[in-house]
Amino acid sequence: MILRNLKFALNSAWQSFWRNLTVSLAAVLSITLILILAGINLLVGHAFSQVLDGFREKVSQISINVSDDTPLQTVYDYQTQLAADPRVASVKFVTKDEALTQFKSDPQNFILAQQIEGNPLDAKLDVQVKNLDDVAAIDAQARQWPGVDPTDPTNYQGDFINRMLQLSYWLGLAGDGLLFILLIVSIVIVMNTIRTAVYHRRKEIEVMKLVGATEWFVRGPFVLEGVMTGLIAASIALALLAVGYEPVVVRFKTDVGFIPLSYDPAFISSLARDLLLAGALLGALGSYIGVRRYVRI
Amino acid sequence: MVLTPDFATRPVISFQHVHKTYPTGTEALRDINLEVPEGDFLFLVGPSGAGKSTLVRLLIREEKPSKGKIFVDGVELGRMKRRRLPHYRRKVGLVFQDFKLLPNLTVYENVAFALRVLGSSDHQVRDRVAEALDTVSLYGKESTYPANLSGGEQQRVAIARALVHAPRFIIADEPTGNLDPATAWEIMQLFLRINARGATVVMATHNREIVDLLRRRVIAIDSGQIARDDRSGRYHDDFAKSEVRA
Repeated sequence: MILRNLKFALNSAWQSFWRNLTVSLAAVLSITLILILAGINLLVGHAFSQVLDGFREKVSQISINVSDDTPLQTVYDYQTQLAADPRVASVKFVTKDEALTQFKSDPQNFILAQQIEGNPLDAKLDVQVKNLDDVAAIDAQARQWPGVDPTDPTNYQGDFINRMLQLSYWLGLAGDGLLFILLIVSIVIVMNTIRTAVYHRRKEIEVMKLVGATEWFVRGPFVLEGVMTGLIAASIALALLAVGYEPVVVRFKTDVGFIPLSYDPAFISSLARDLLLAGALLGALGSYIGVRRYVRI
Repeated sequence: MVLTPDFATRPVISFQHVHKTYPTGTEALRDINLEVPEGDFLFLVGPSGAGKSTLVRLLIREEKPSKGKIFVDGVELGRMKRRRLPHYRRKVGLVFQDFKLLPNLTVYENVAFALRVLGSSDHQVRDRVAEALDTVSLYGKESTYPANLSGGEQQRVAIARALVHAPRFIIADEPTGNLDPATAWEIMQLFLRINARGATVVMATHNREIVDLLRRRVIAIDSGQIARDDRSGRYHDDFAKSEVRA
């Protein structure tokens, strides 16, 4: 019986979608626009998080400069100690010679490298910290280590990291806020669109109730129609976003080169999942609320 | 053959001191006491605004009584839980003056609708809809839409829908109100046949000729009260006069 009711609800939803095509298309259009906005928000959020991840990786690595007179064994001991620290991902010892080679191999240092005599660079311990929040503590600890170069202990830039953390926090918050607003707006739009559809069909609902339909029997086709509307809208929004994503990123990279934005095709599948789920949920919820007033027996 | 209701049978519908006052303050019904035995055929007559439709609305639980109790088949409607209401309505066949057919559905689909709600199988739906359409002599019009039917035919579809799930009660509110006398009489013949099969029929009507001709039980309502309860009554001239005055 449940299967029969489901079949009936699916048939009704499908028929109703086509019979009230104008209202259905209005609902599809509204949800599509909302989902495009939500999709853009997710894509921008993802792009920024990629950029931030790049920065994070850079700033979560600090170099502890080793004083020239520190015995090698002391450096190894400290390297072992750091490697055992749960906050540390990896530690690499870079000798003075390696540091110089690294310096010279960077094309930006080409002119400077030609003027260097001897090796003024310190040996260093490159520490990759797991969590950006712990970098300050590792830095503070390193500065206490007797083997550190007292004139230039580490390359840690606290202010920059703090600013990055704040930026990342506010961007995340703004993205979430925008998504929340879009969610509310879309529910209201879908609810009103479906309510218009329901208003056209109030006679049908009245008859359904009079012949003994349960609330869910009446509501089911509307909710399924909402899900159908949401999925169609999500598919359209997804197709448009997928087509526009790469050209926009390429254009952005050309115009604003200093922000290392990149095209991530893998994100499309996660975007598809999010948009389809959001479309289906929005449609279902909007219909559920929209139909409530008329369905109540 | 027309069955005469057996008043010794236990009442399946019982109104006990029922009052209905709408939120606007309008007192639609006052102290209604009424018992309807199983298999009865009952006319509710009275001038417009007397309270007939309110009584029908109470019977199908579209409204609850402000005071008093209504029992149908042993269940008190006023205390019935909302989730039980669909199950109650499945025992009732409803026929209205405006037919209440779904314009987007064909004759077959309209009648089948009452069975779909019950979750009947396709096989059951096919058989029972065919039977119901046969009863109302609409066989062959399955694929027609209501807009392409006459008033009488539309009312036949509504009756087929009302009886397709074999209800124990048929409640009809002015079922002949929109029909010419000849068609109205045909429709009444259908109700008599349904009643003869055992269904209890409660019908609110203004159709004086039919009431007078059939001589069934007549409950006359005036100003929200039962003015008369005749076992084989007539429409009565007094109401005709007051209707003219109204």
